Amino acid sequence: MFLNITSVAGEFYGYIPFGDIVLYVTEFSAISFVIALFFTLVVYFTKPEKQLESQIGGFDKLNYVSLEELKIRRLMAILCGICTAFAMLTGDLFNYALFLAVIGITNIGIVSAVKKEWVLNAAYYYGIIAMISTLPLFGGAALILAKTGTLSILELAGKHQDLLFQKMLYAAGMVGETGVAPFYAAKAEMFRAPGAPYILMIHLSSLLIVIRTAEILLTI
Amino acid sequence: MELYNLKYVMDALAYSLYAFLVGGLLLGLHRKIVARIQGRPGPPILQYILHTLKFYFKEITFPITAGNPLYLLIALMSITVWMSALYLGVVFNTSLLILMGLYVLQKIVEHGCGLSSGSPYGKLGGVRSVFSAAAEVPLFTVMGIIYLLTKSLIIEDIIRYQEIHGPIIFQLPFAAFAFFVLLLSKAPNSPFAIVKDKSIVSGYLTEHFGILESLIMIADGIAWFVLLWIFLAVFIGPLVVSDPLMTLLGMVVLTSLISLICALTPLLTPNHSVMIQILISALALVDLLHRIFMG
Repeated sequence: MFLNITSVAGEFYGYIPFGDIVLYVTEFSAISFVIALFFTLVVYFTKPEKQLESQIGGFDKLNYVSLEELKIRRLMAILCGICTAFAMLTGDLFNYALFLAVIGITNIGIVSAVKKEWVLNAAYYYGIIAMISTLPLFGGAALILAKTGTLSILELAGKHQDLLFQKMLYAAGMVGETGVAPFYAAKAEMFRAPGAPYILMIHLSSLLIVIRTAEILLTI
Repeated sequence: MELYNLKYVMDALAYSLYAFLVGGLLLGLHRKIVARIQGRPGPPILQYILHTLKFYFKEITFPITAGNPLYLLIALMSITVWMSALYLGVVFNTSLLILMGLYVLQKIVEHGCGLSSGSPYGKLGGVRSVFSAAAEVPLFTVMGIIYLLTKSLIIEDIIRYQEIHGPIIFQLPFAAFAFFVLLLSKAPNSPFAIVKDKSIVSGYLTEHFGILESLIMIADGIAWFVLLWIFLAVFIGPLVVSDPLMTLLGMVVLTSLISLICALTPLLTPNHSVMIQILISALALVDLLHRIFMG
């Protein structure tokens, strides 16, 4: 049953039944979970950087992130970190899709408090792509459920069914939701917003999710 | 028992030192070859290691624009990431997926370095690092292609597969090429090295100096060793990695080949660099789909 899991994600350490949500721990998921939580703590403790803007005919200006802006962005970054951490552990395709959707929302939240037009525009375009991507993402999960009768990754790892189309839909949903290539053109401008640790969380969540999705698609 | 534990720690640290020295010398060799091809004498091969030692003892201050403790932690993270990759990959031969996870963390380090300093040059280097994430897309496709062939992503299994079936490089030449481009993009002065372009001073490293730069340089040395080892282990297999001397020889050959390419090609603009990497991603994806449909 666990052959696919161990050959892709390394040693299988066990699962945690958490109501109807089953989390499982492998070598890969344990490391990714710790990384996501570690970065969440770094985000909590780090003060945002100050950007120095040179001025013509005067002194350089130091741009601060205001306390009000900092609070909402830090909250969103921490929520994003927690969702990313548990997305690494979840053993259910639907829960994983939900975590992905929340990560998309928090990513927009992290930059939405920045009062710069180009940042808000980038967040808006990314938001549209993320919303559209929920259709293939949840659609892919629904089709997998319809075909196999389960959404559990542990169960699916033991079944040998042809899920190529469903996997492609699921992957397309993930690509749009996390804004990786070819959609990152909409997202890249967001990274230029001030506030170092918060922006970093957008990038970290996307990268970890991409790898986790690769793991899931190779496992099921 | 405690003495045994101490021995394991000492062994691990000694192996890290070995990886750094080999990686540092290879990066020095890389600079030398590039310089000789371009008709310059170039620095001595030891220069990378000497630079690292010099920076280690330099005084350090924190810029007023820096976002702490991220500014400080990011250098430590860099070394943690590559030491973890060294132990998990080279020593324990764990899953390729975990190594790729650690590799993408390098992007976070580059991005974090640039962002946390508050410097516009660092920031630009960090943003370019995000753009160049396109280089990682072929990586996932390559993993898929390897999995289809070997039915496992555990490095030990991949090496065992090659013991029976011969080097994977002959069976999956395009996957090997895509991975080689990734190695190339990590090399200094490569056509894809847009994150350290001299037009943005030192890119994401601009505001990290002294011991912080030294730590990042140690990490880069270990990274070079680990990436070359992964390429040799995954695509050439036991023929090279079962013997330390053959592994070193393989690393020298790969570094020389990369240096030759770096010396003869100009630095691409960020747009062109990303376009070429996306093209390679698309071709790798086509290769993966072709293999899935053809069984």
